[in-house]
Amino acid sequence: MKARRKILGGIAVLAGLIVIAGIGSSPVVRAAEGIPQVELNADNLAPRPIEELTSKVVPRDYAHAWQTLAEALDGNRADLLNAYFTGLAKENFTSKIADQKRTGLHTHFVDHGHKLDGVFYAPAGDAMQLRDQARLEVQLLDGTKVVHSETLTQNYIVLMTPGADRWLVRDLEPVQGQQ
Amino acid sequence: MRIRDWTVQFSVLLLFGIGAYAAELRAPDHVKAGTTFTITSSGSGGGTFYLFGPASAVKRKVDSGSEIAVQSEEVEHAGRYTAVLCGSECTATHFYVQAADPERLSFLVHPSRVPVDDPNAMSAVALVFDQFHNLIQQPQSVTFSIIPKSGSAVTEERRSDQGIAWVRLSSGRREGPTKIAASVGKNDEEIRIVQQIASDACNLRMRPEWVSNKFFVETDPVRDCSGNNVPDGTVVSFTMTDSNGKTTVDVPIKKGIAKVEMPISGSARITVASGVVTGNELNVAGR
Repeated sequence: MKARRKILGGIAVLAGLIVIAGIGSSPVVRAAEGIPQVELNADNLAPRPIEELTSKVVPRDYAHAWQTLAEALDGNRADLLNAYFTGLAKENFTSKIADQKRTGLHTHFVDHGHKLDGVFYAPAGDAMQLRDQARLEVQLLDGTKVVHSETLTQNYIVLMTPGADRWLVRDLEPVQGQQ
Repeated sequence: MRIRDWTVQFSVLLLFGIGAYAAELRAPDHVKAGTTFTITSSGSGGGTFYLFGPASAVKRKVDSGSEIAVQSEEVEHAGRYTAVLCGSECTATHFYVQAADPERLSFLVHPSRVPVDDPNAMSAVALVFDQFHNLIQQPQSVTFSIIPKSGSAVTEERRSDQGIAWVRLSSGRREGPTKIAASVGKNDEEIRIVQQIASDACNLRMRPEWVSNKFFVETDPVRDCSGNNVPDGTVVSFTMTDSNGKTTVDVPIKKGIAKVEMPISGSARITVASGVVTGNELNVAGR
């Protein structure tokens, strides 16, 4: 009788530990394949009207930027940023990747798409400011341990500038809600 | 009875587990970039603290049940931060870091060379940042100035919208370098130089000249309508029409004038032009 109770107690302890361990480590979500979907609304873009080609190239390059950002932050590979990032955005993400590398952390996210709203297009066509509403599934990892995961809609203020053959992300700042 | 004992044991264990490890984190909703603050943690025992920001990732050991100090250099970039405390279990909180006070501008001026007296020929765009290069989205007053080589500066003020202020500017009437400046608050001006160049030729005139039985045509000093010298190298075209037909000679301006020898036999009509501007006509007869 006592032996059976001990066995049952042991099972209960084991079950409890499994439950607690389960709370602390969620399964790693899989990366979405391909580039994320990006929609651009240029109706409010001013003062320069957007050219037809630019209205296609900007969302295309922004999507590629996010794809490379996801790979760079997950694999801690700052070299991937060169293709679609420049200026402050590149400096900031390079700094984050250096920190992650040093501490054994990484950031994994699944990108569920972006809604871009054009805000400002410089008269000379050399800078464009946009607002992005991104839907992301984010996991923060210490080695292989997921320390935090969440699904969120995050707003960004984006500054893009034209490069030799593409538009580059020059600044990408997360902002709170609609401003 | 035995099943009920087991259930009770399991429930107590589960509650104990959750109670013991679910340390709570509390952070201020908003933090100004580059300021030190604390995140309050409850619970007991040591843990690992993580802080994921837009441009940083921090990991360090902390004592739970105490205040976790976040250093100013850990929150220099504006945006959303996630703080995580892990013991046996992890708990997280979020907060936003807002840009600090305006301190610097990123300043774009186009074009770098502009003809004189051209309305709205230049555009100046200023992006307002704090000392940590965070874009300041609250409206700020940005002052744009045109500082000519001689004469007084002309200023215009614009409110920034979502971090950007811009203005169209007209070029002055005198050629030469002109400073275009922008400033925010009492901070130093950002200055760009725009080279104002003479506009198209104005009142283009030529005159004939015989030297040792050779015929030359020579312009007066070529100036624009504001009296600025049209730059050397600008092409002036002389066209001669005579009994043989039409001949055009393109001559670059040299030391302010254009001059060319034209062989004349019989009578001829000569016209002069530079770009879209035409000058006077000459009717000459050969010697």
